[in-house]
Amino acid sequence: MPETIEIQLKKGVLALCVLALLSHADSYAYEIASRLTRDIDMGEGTIYPLMRRMQSDGLVETYLVESQSGPPRKYYRLTAAGRESLAQQKAEWTAFATAVNNIVGAAA
Amino acid sequence: MTRAEFITRLRRGLSGLPATTIADIVADHEAHFADAQAAGRTEAEVAAALGDPDRLARELRAEAGLKQWEEKKTPSNAMAAIIALIGLGAIDVIFLLPLLMGVLATLFGFLVAVVTIFFVGGFIFAAGPLASPPGGPITAFLTGIGLMGVATFIGSLLTVVTVGVFNAVVWYARLHFRLLKPAMEQA
Repeated sequence: MPETIEIQLKKGVLALCVLALLSHADSYAYEIASRLTRDIDMGEGTIYPLMRRMQSDGLVETYLVESQSGPPRKYYRLTAAGRESLAQQKAEWTAFATAVNNIVGAAA
Repeated sequence: MTRAEFITRLRRGLSGLPATTIADIVADHEAHFADAQAAGRTEAEVAAALGDPDRLARELRAEAGLKQWEEKKTPSNAMAAIIALIGLGAIDVIFLLPLLMGVLATLFGFLVAVVTIFFVGGFIFAAGPLASPPGGPITAFLTGIGLMGVATFIGSLLTVVTVGVFNAVVWYARLHFRLLKPAMEQA
């Protein structure tokens, strides 16, 4: 079952996007999912397995915030390891994107 | 699909995982439905956007199985990982199965051979010197030790190869996750 290159690309950068969003402000899963769905058209369901994995890898941690409506909301924030991972992935992404842009730009 | 239906199918699909894990995952999705509702979306819309709950549950369980194997390379974890993979029901895994069975059968054959050599060595080591063998008791004694040593050596090689095969299978299986961590990211 071949997957389009687009899906593979998105899967690869998803973690980076989440780390980057959380580096600006702590957030909760629905907010992160909405943002990613709107901007890069990710399936909403993808976010929960990803957040679980990032939590078990120690990149993010959670805390509860009381909400006016309904049960307390689970917020995510970056850990020190998460910030480190972000810096590393960001550098890799930038290098890769620049290289690809150079090739694509040069070919045009 | 309604919210209740989605949650029921997700919960049913996850059975077998630790209760706290299931509760966590279910709570996450309940919260998602609640937030979406507050944003004015219908349950059916949200359920469609979240994807197939059965598929989601299978991938979460497979990931749990693979992770256990990566943390502790025990035979029972290997078995759990294989079962989880079969549970994924990826067509490619079925395609791969005959090949995998061949490899596993070969490894098993080697294992039997190694165990046999070890015991033969042990027997020669223990009983050989008493049976007035050709070359004298010392020769039988040393031959026994030698055979056991060879068996141990091949056995350890075999372990390394087996672990390698499993890691390759785990890597391959990850290629088939649509929702979870892609294999490439591991490298």
